[in-house]
Amino acid sequence: MNLPELDPVIHAQARLRVVAALSTLGEGDRLSFPRLQEILGMTAGNLSVHLRKLEDAGYVEVTKTHHGRTPATLLRLSRRGRLAFEEYTTAVRMLLDGHDVARESTHD
Amino acid sequence: MDDPRTTTEEDLPPASPAESLRLIREQRAETARSLTPDPRLVYWPWSVSWLVGFGAFFLRYGSDGDGLVAMPDWVPMVTLFTLMTLALVTMTIELRRAARQVAGESSTKGAMYGIAWMVAFASLGVTGGYLSDYLPPAQVGLFWSASSIGIVAVLYIAGAAIYPDRTMFALGCWLAIVNIAGVVAGPGWHALIISLAGGGGGLVLGFVAWLRLARHR
Repeated sequence: MNLPELDPVIHAQARLRVVAALSTLGEGDRLSFPRLQEILGMTAGNLSVHLRKLEDAGYVEVTKTHHGRTPATLLRLSRRGRLAFEEYTTAVRMLLDGHDVARESTHD
Repeated sequence: MDDPRTTTEEDLPPASPAESLRLIREQRAETARSLTPDPRLVYWPWSVSWLVGFGAFFLRYGSDGDGLVAMPDWVPMVTLFTLMTLALVTMTIELRRAARQVAGESSTKGAMYGIAWMVAFASLGVTGGYLSDYLPPAQVGLFWSASSIGIVAVLYIAGAAIYPDRTMFALGCWLAIVNIAGVVAGPGWHALIISLAGGGGGLVLGFVAWLRLARHR
């Protein structure tokens, strides 16, 4: 299926899951890298690759900090990332409404 | 929790718009379940402590000081405080698990809310410890039970406003109502009402909150 109007940064299974997970956080909150990794069940290397792409697009804010002597990486969606996720969800819903809804959602 | 999919496969777009929405819905639900404390571990230990602890008080002393079941004087008090301590520990562990490695506003809110509990019970402990000597013996137990359940009710309502959480609000209001009803009914009856209505209500609402979370979409 060709869906050129969907944001290619988000329209990939792994990054969609990353963005969806981060979208549940409160606006003032950040999630650590290991906790996000645990929630998503991805390898650290894999998650880093996708986070890099999301960071390059300006969708995810990465903060390096320290808990005592241990370095910690904290993550959250940027304002732009939240907006992109909302636009993506709206676009997908519109596409779905335009298709045969019954056929598309038989497994739901 | 190893993900067998490779980076290449995960780079592929979802197969259809319906698949995209399913991924979003499932991932958000799974994340919410991880970040939200399990209501069963937050409410049930307290509910059981009230059901059993206040139940033991009523069985020992009844409504007029003559109990229905013979047991040493210390049994109800030790039972109640042991169970409440276990409930506090269980709840604290679960709240910390859910808040683990989340930084920002919600952890600040959680810390302040935790301080509110400590301040409330420290104030009650000092005030009650001072006033207990001046109360008739029959009223001392009622004073401690009613004021601590009243504090829990108020803090549940405040917590509901902070998080926000409608189940917690419902439980706070329910506890406040049955607590006042129990005080009006008098010593003994208060223990019975808190045991059945407070403990039972907590068990039911904990179950409702858990069902909501499990079906979170």
